[in-house]
Amino acid sequence: MLRPGADHRGGSVTTLDAATRRLLERLRPESVPPEVGDVPVVAPRRVEEAAEVLAFAGDRGLVVGFVGGGTQLDLGGRIEPDVWVSTAALNRIVDHQVEDLTLVVQAGVPVADVEALLADHAQSAILPETPGAATVGGVVAAGVSGYRRLRYGPTRDRVLEVVLATGYGKVVRAGGRVVKNVTGYDLSRLAVGSMGALGLIGEVCLKLWPIPRGAATVAVDDPEGALAETYRPLAVLETEDGSAVYLTGTPEQVAAQTEELGGVGEPGHRWPDPIDSPMRFSVRVTPRHLAGAVRMIRAAFPEAPLRAQHGVGEVTFGVEACDLERVVAVRHWAEGHGGAMVILAASAGSLPGMDPWGAPPAAHGLQVRVKEAFDPHRICNPGKLPGGL
Amino acid sequence: MLRPMDLIAALEGVVGSDRVRAHPLDRRVFAKDAGVKDGPVAAVVFPESAEETAGCVRVARAAGVPVVPRGAGTGLAGGAVPIEPSVMVVMTRMNRIVEVDEQSRTAWVGPGVINLDLSRDLASTGLHFAPDPSSQQSCTIGGNVGTNAGGPHCLAEGTTVAHILAVEMVTADGDIVIVGGDHPDPVGLDLRAVVVGSEGTMGVTTRVLVKLTENPPAVRTLLIGFATVEDAAATVSEVIASGLVPAALEMMDRAMVRAVENYVHAGYPTDAAAVLLAEVAGHAVGVDAEADMIARIAADNDATMVRLAQNDAERALLWKGRKSAFGAIAQSAPDYYLHDTVVPRTRLVEVLSQIYEIGERYGIALLNVFHAGDGNLHPLVSFDAAVPGELDRVMAAATEMVRVSIEAGGSLSGEHGIGMEKRDLMGLVFGPDDLDAQARLREAFDPDGVLNPGKILPEGSRCFDRAPTIGAAP
Repeated sequence: MLRPGADHRGGSVTTLDAATRRLLERLRPESVPPEVGDVPVVAPRRVEEAAEVLAFAGDRGLVVGFVGGGTQLDLGGRIEPDVWVSTAALNRIVDHQVEDLTLVVQAGVPVADVEALLADHAQSAILPETPGAATVGGVVAAGVSGYRRLRYGPTRDRVLEVVLATGYGKVVRAGGRVVKNVTGYDLSRLAVGSMGALGLIGEVCLKLWPIPRGAATVAVDDPEGALAETYRPLAVLETEDGSAVYLTGTPEQVAAQTEELGGVGEPGHRWPDPIDSPMRFSVRVTPRHLAGAVRMIRAAFPEAPLRAQHGVGEVTFGVEACDLERVVAVRHWAEGHGGAMVILAASAGSLPGMDPWGAPPAAHGLQVRVKEAFDPHRICNPGKLPGGL
Repeated sequence: MLRPMDLIAALEGVVGSDRVRAHPLDRRVFAKDAGVKDGPVAAVVFPESAEETAGCVRVARAAGVPVVPRGAGTGLAGGAVPIEPSVMVVMTRMNRIVEVDEQSRTAWVGPGVINLDLSRDLASTGLHFAPDPSSQQSCTIGGNVGTNAGGPHCLAEGTTVAHILAVEMVTADGDIVIVGGDHPDPVGLDLRAVVVGSEGTMGVTTRVLVKLTENPPAVRTLLIGFATVEDAAATVSEVIASGLVPAALEMMDRAMVRAVENYVHAGYPTDAAAVLLAEVAGHAVGVDAEADMIARIAADNDATMVRLAQNDAERALLWKGRKSAFGAIAQSAPDYYLHDTVVPRTRLVEVLSQIYEIGERYGIALLNVFHAGDGNLHPLVSFDAAVPGELDRVMAAATEMVRVSIEAGGSLSGEHGIGMEKRDLMGLVFGPDDLDAQARLREAFDPDGVLNPGKILPEGSRCFDRAPTIGAAP
């Protein structure tokens, strides 16, 4: 809700006139995540409309927040938007070239819908395996990858093209709908993980992978050893319930690799449930330090559910109640090992003095200049990125 | 503004007199890359550290002379060819593999490390650097970063950007910064993702953190001959659609096969209209079944011969044929012009036939060797630049070939880059707002046009006036 003269992070002191407010109310989508409260929500049906909203907001200095499925709203700095732009009405699957293994999809399409469609063709966009309500645009904007990144690389490696409504109110297309492309600067990959800082991601083209017929999940005692001995598994995960190697390939190959691991394979891939603790963190280190990170977290929070990705270098873990000192200790350890600890979710004010991202990126000056190039009025999710960008 | 002699003296002050060259012969040698054009060189400098590189950039900047970073000069798009008198910053002396982390499967390397040397040096670790451009015996990692280089094995592994975790570079201001990091998803905007492929316009790469890939335990390589190009292309489409992801899927047409066979005697079938080189890699149990499947799909598409390499030597010979293609064509004419466009894989046959038609219409000698699995076409024209008007004719045909690729839903370049060669064709793919956004990004990195000005983006890309490049200042 707008408070005239209030100190919004983007410096907005504007109030909405009654007519604008009525218009925005009419444009409010049917369902919005509870986090947006009663702040006006607009749901453009085309990327061009989103650009118009941003041009309008830029002229008036209105702070705009972006929302898809609402699963990542806690990530990054807190924002107090004057208006939310929702991708709920950007909900079309635009083009699926089955034989070319490419998919063009609007930002608001749920990840689960995309993967269900692709599964019918034995294909996947390798998006997160347990997405909940997450949308494709949200996953791309937040730079979230699934467990299968060990084998297929992060989400960034599959974004071939983006259509962006920029902070200065234009529609910009970058990349292309082919699997290999070096035509111009790669804004598509820059958009991945940009947290809305450049504008709204309206549409993306994703590179797809065929899903081999064979699949097994093999429980192991020594995840690091299994990682070293197994040729390119999909994932090697460690949770509070134990460790498992996820295999894929021809059925014969999966059978052979299961035997090499000396374990009993369960057919298919049983991915761990998402952590639902109210406070969640992601520790990111070079893969060599992953086992150490797991030990550190277990020592600090013996009861915490965790998801450790061996070979990737990420551990996410959840905590029920705040224990600032221990959380700080984990961050200190991660940064001391050249990594980071990012706060994925935490209730407001529960971690006083803690930056959501930790140490800012090294090239901060360049970060500022790139942000300014795409969002000169500082209206797009201002303050979401590290360093208050 | 320094006088030329002062510029050289100032550069000598940074790196010493033995690593600055300005003799007319040096200027000529470093005036071009492996493409067809050259440009004016003010001085050539060979830094040996990030600090020296930064010093060179600051000197050039103060002198009002642009900086053009250069690796081995194997680029084909003029990315390392200066457009105005420039300081060529040649990175080949920074060729040390600084640190290898076997457990994390990463390595910090100097930009001057040669692509193939990196994988050879790592042989004992069972790891390699996956991007393998055809020039890998001479191209550098820094150059691979600059162009986001590809290669046959990028079909399964992705291009260079998927294998670069961090880049240390000297900015246009002469600062040393690192973009990216050694842990997953470093926080902030992913600047590393745009620095890779920025052709030296965003920074001078001084150190690179590369991701290393496990060597496959088993590899099968197939040579397959076809009576028609259509049969070969249909095989490519069906293999991709079947759910297989071959490690590589390369195609050559008759003219190229004959040139290559005459040159390396790899046993390629010279009577075939098209040849596919297919490779599958992975677990020993998987590869035989995958190789069988490719052979079956080829047979269904009337393949005239299928040969499975029986050992490493035979496999190496088959690849030598593919990777010698550009050397082989020197037999037919002194110069060549190599195109690089991408089309959706399902449109290969149609676009190829249009390309042959264009070649015939212009009366040029056309050979094709390309990454069929990616839809990445490389029509190659051999010609004699000494014949007046010949280069113009070749370039006119090239532009038509680019147009048909784009009309089929493709793009300007798959792996060579835009450089100066395709700069003025960018408008075929992007509208004014798209180009303006790219120009804004470039300006954020280099507002004064210090780094490799005049590349990638056509004049006037920025929708409102911007300052002239420093080199154009009086």
